[in-house]
Amino acid sequence: MTEQIKTDFEKIIKTSAFSEKDVELKKMYLNKFLETGFPTRKLENWKFSDLSQIIKKNIGELSFYNDYSFTNKVDTSIFVEGIEHNKIVFINGKVEKVDFTHEDHDKIEINDDFKFVNRLEDDNSLISLNNAFTNKCYKITVKKNYTLKKPLVVYHSTNNKIKSKNFNLKLEFQLEQNSSLRLIDLFNDGSENNFINIFYNFDLKENAILKNYKIDKAQNKNIRYSYNNIEQDNNSVSETFVLSSGSNFSKNEINCNLKGEYSSAFVNGIFSLNDGQHHEIRTIINHLVKNTKSYQLIKSVLGKNSKSAYQGKIFVDSKAQKTDGYQLSKAILLDETSEFNAKPELEIYADDVKCSHGSASGSLDENSIFYLMSRGLNYQQSKELLINGFLLDVVEKITDTEIKNLVKNMIGLKE
Amino acid sequence: MLKINNLSANIEDKSILKDFSLNINPGEVHAIMGPNGSGKSTLSNILSGKKGYEISGEVLFENNNLFELETEERAHKGIFLAFQYPLEIPGVNTNIFLKTSLNAIRKAKGEKELDAIEFLKLVKEKARELKFDEEKLNRQLNVGFSGGEKKKNEILQMSMLSPKLSILDETDSGLDIDALKVVSDGVNTLRSKDNSFLIITHYQRLLDYIKPDFVHVLMNGKIIKSGGPELALELEKKGYENFN
Repeated sequence: MTEQIKTDFEKIIKTSAFSEKDVELKKMYLNKFLETGFPTRKLENWKFSDLSQIIKKNIGELSFYNDYSFTNKVDTSIFVEGIEHNKIVFINGKVEKVDFTHEDHDKIEINDDFKFVNRLEDDNSLISLNNAFTNKCYKITVKKNYTLKKPLVVYHSTNNKIKSKNFNLKLEFQLEQNSSLRLIDLFNDGSENNFINIFYNFDLKENAILKNYKIDKAQNKNIRYSYNNIEQDNNSVSETFVLSSGSNFSKNEINCNLKGEYSSAFVNGIFSLNDGQHHEIRTIINHLVKNTKSYQLIKSVLGKNSKSAYQGKIFVDSKAQKTDGYQLSKAILLDETSEFNAKPELEIYADDVKCSHGSASGSLDENSIFYLMSRGLNYQQSKELLINGFLLDVVEKITDTEIKNLVKNMIGLKE
Repeated sequence: MLKINNLSANIEDKSILKDFSLNINPGEVHAIMGPNGSGKSTLSNILSGKKGYEISGEVLFENNNLFELETEERAHKGIFLAFQYPLEIPGVNTNIFLKTSLNAIRKAKGEKELDAIEFLKLVKEKARELKFDEEKLNRQLNVGFSGGEKKKNEILQMSMLSPKLSILDETDSGLDIDALKVVSDGVNTLRSKDNSFLIITHYQRLLDYIKPDFVHVLMNGKIIKSGGPELALELEKKGYENFN
């Protein structure tokens, strides 16, 4: 891999117009990535999924070069219907469309030359890889007191002009005081066997509200890694919902720093997997000051040979009295070959806190199936009804009604 | 309608029903009384198609071999079991469940499926008859329902599906006197020359409200005596232990 990555990197530097300073920075990140390479099981964070092996097995050799000099045509058929929205369209890792038609333009600032400074986990080689190869980083700022009228949908798509087997995306969001953003990440990418590496940073100022819905529904052969970093000031709220279902492999990491009083973070997720799929959610909620709250609910429905893992960490600083932290995970294993792993971690240094965690897994209840079948439903209908019922309360946690209904339709959930 | 010939059932090498035979004709109401562990619930489970039993013998329902039919096919043909312990199904709305169930059965019978409006009209009418709190129809199936409400919900389902053979497995247990009357009324409304009932109970009390045509005493997996309603009174007086 080392030779390939170096050659591809040089090629990118030659064909792009990065400043000398940027090139230096990118080189630094590349070297940092090369020091450790892709994560393996040896790292605690990756104990349930050896990414290095997964890439080898599913993709083989990665390649990294993409030609970003031309403009890709945006395929409008991928757009979500039935809900008016703003758009950012990524094609092959390049932003091809930024469209905020529904908003007041002086309330949103778009900067396409954002210099990203890595202030995060120094040992995360995938963030280094992302920094080395991202084509351009957009920064979206929502101005003070502004609530976006319509949600923003970020489309992650590819077309047949893609050359590389890896692409890296990055977005930076700043939500100023009293502002609010609804963001849907839609992974409707039909490309085959790519490693997609996504990094988002969110900065929530006082009273800001972020709702991020990450939807990976369409079946695809990609390996996907996504890292959300969320910084939260006083009284801000972040809500993250993950529907983890389409990709071959997917890992969503959510790192949330509750550094303002009365800030709160909600993470809810559904794994719905089959046929050898392997997905993971890892959360790190850092309660850093007094009176902060976090809530997490993760449910899995696992078919043949599929595997999900939930690593949920709640860290409570010694200053963070009156913290309220909660996490629960439940799994239904539909087959003997399916596997669910839960690793709750509570690290608490304050004494006046309320923190709890729980995890349960089992198979579908045969008595419930018998009950439904005795009312004329066939096995498949009974099973679906029970699974829908099991998942419904996670979807009900979506606070935005419009998006809740969209998600319900997408996964065929009935009330 | 239902012919049970020499039915024996074992579960994990334990013999529960032994050469059990019973014949129910259209329009008849049969009561089976017996002490705990006599095989009453096993009988109702087997008739509805619950798996996990080793079975021999023959059961015919309108000349169909019941053992060749899946649980849902038995429901389509008109067999209904009111559960002794109705299950709580989280996340499943009672109305949606009732509609899915009713339409599955209507479809299997070749009848037109009901649309939302037709369905709601019917379910509201039935709920009112049974004094079933309509608000509960919008709640998750049996979740947080009291014991009495769960049983009433069973009878509501029964009256919605209007089965040919209704098996009531200890529907009276857990009901107060008022609820017992409402439930009995629900059953009596459905009584006709075509519909039959198999009522399983410990106590004679329910039979004051639903008059059976036949009473059978089940002990150790066998019917030891059959008779008319007077048998229930005799049983109530003597108790199971002294009955033999």
